[in-house]
Amino acid sequence: MKVYVCVGSSCHLKGSYDIINLMKENIAKNGLEDTVELSGAFCLGKCTEGVSIKVEDEVICGVSKENFNEIFDKYILKK
Amino acid sequence: MNNLCTEIGYHSLFKHGEQLCGDNVEVVEQGENSFVMVLADGLGSGVKANILATLTSKIISTMMAANMSIEDCVSTIASTLPVCEVRKVAYSTFTIIRVVDNEEAEIIQYDNPFVIFMRDGKSVDYPRTAVEIGGKTIYKSKISLQENDIFLAMSDGAIYAGVGKYMNFGWQRENIVDFMEALYHQSYTAKALTTLLLDECDRLYGGEPGDDTTVGAIKIRKREPVNMLFGPPQNPEDVNKMMALFFSKEGKHIVSGGTTSTLASQYLGKPMTSVLEYIDPEIPPIGKIEGVDLVTEGVITVSKVLTYAKSYLTNNEYYGHWSVKNDGASQIARMLFEQSTDINFYVGRAMNPAHQNPDLPISFNIKMNIVDELQKCLKQMGKKIKVSYF
Repeated sequence: MKVYVCVGSSCHLKGSYDIINLMKENIAKNGLEDTVELSGAFCLGKCTEGVSIKVEDEVICGVSKENFNEIFDKYILKK
Repeated sequence: MNNLCTEIGYHSLFKHGEQLCGDNVEVVEQGENSFVMVLADGLGSGVKANILATLTSKIISTMMAANMSIEDCVSTIASTLPVCEVRKVAYSTFTIIRVVDNEEAEIIQYDNPFVIFMRDGKSVDYPRTAVEIGGKTIYKSKISLQENDIFLAMSDGAIYAGVGKYMNFGWQRENIVDFMEALYHQSYTAKALTTLLLDECDRLYGGEPGDDTTVGAIKIRKREPVNMLFGPPQNPEDVNKMMALFFSKEGKHIVSGGTTSTLASQYLGKPMTSVLEYIDPEIPPIGKIEGVDLVTEGVITVSKVLTYAKSYLTNNEYYGHWSVKNDGASQIARMLFEQSTDINFYVGRAMNPAHQNPDLPISFNIKMNIVDELQKCLKQMGKKIKVSYF
């Protein structure tokens, strides 16, 4: 499964750095290193709604530290 | 016209306790590839010396740039400089280095330590012809230039460094030659050479220079063009035109901006990969596209580059950071400040609606200001800049 975290200007300012670290932590915690391929993406075109991530072909916006667990659960763990 | 260009760097240490420097350096361009650098050291120190040095260097550089003879320059100075009440003389020593078409250097010296000329990292002696002008002995030399030639002009503060502190007689010109040969590296810029020598003088003076100390360095180097693409064009139909012009340019290519790099990747037909690692939490990670030397995020990265550029021109406090780190801003800084001689900017004026948010420090106006300010800084570094807007 490919997961991208946007590191464009807007998302960066809204906290891409923290989201990437949370992603890494949670992927390791759930032993998903072999199934999830994490990488950065430059601008997913949803600048107003950042932080944006992309799981396979689906773009998910408005990811924050607060809702991270919920989103990780819904889009990555359950798939 | 050859493929060489000239890089100039100069800086002064003030005599301890003085607020003005009694040395002055002036650089005047003569067309695209020729210029005159004058380093003058006024008699004494403080305000009097400062006036003498400023007048001398301004007068000589202006007159030489207008192709007037050295005889005329010297007699003009002799009759213009105010006479010192205490010493009853009007006096300022000077060194003139004039580079013509990046092919030949003419050196004219009056009473400053002789210019050090280095070729491939070794100091080379050069012939000097003595000429009497108005009772002053002036030495003239001409040298044909090659890539990596270096000229170091200095005021006598440089060779007095250390007198009575670490050495009885200061370090002599030979010691400076040894020092410069030992640390020589081809990658050092004129500015870096100046800083290295002055730092050593300052150390020998124990941080309290006993005289104004000035170094002016000239380095002959090969032209290195760097091209930088920043922002998508205002009119989406111009994308191909902008990309075609940008990628057809010789030299290195930097692409800055999320949308911009996506467009570049589409134009080249090569996928873009983003490196996930945040080397510096403040600077977004870089990306990679085959055929592009460096891909970075846009406005945050470039505004950091501007911060580095401003400090480079003053106290250079961030040098230890950007000269070694591999985040996007540091890499751009190295390419623009150190490697390049000619920089072509391709600036797109598209407005990203998402950025026009008062909470975000990345609005369109801010972006255009960054480009303007960065250009000014790079010009001050002696780079030849061209900017095209789309």
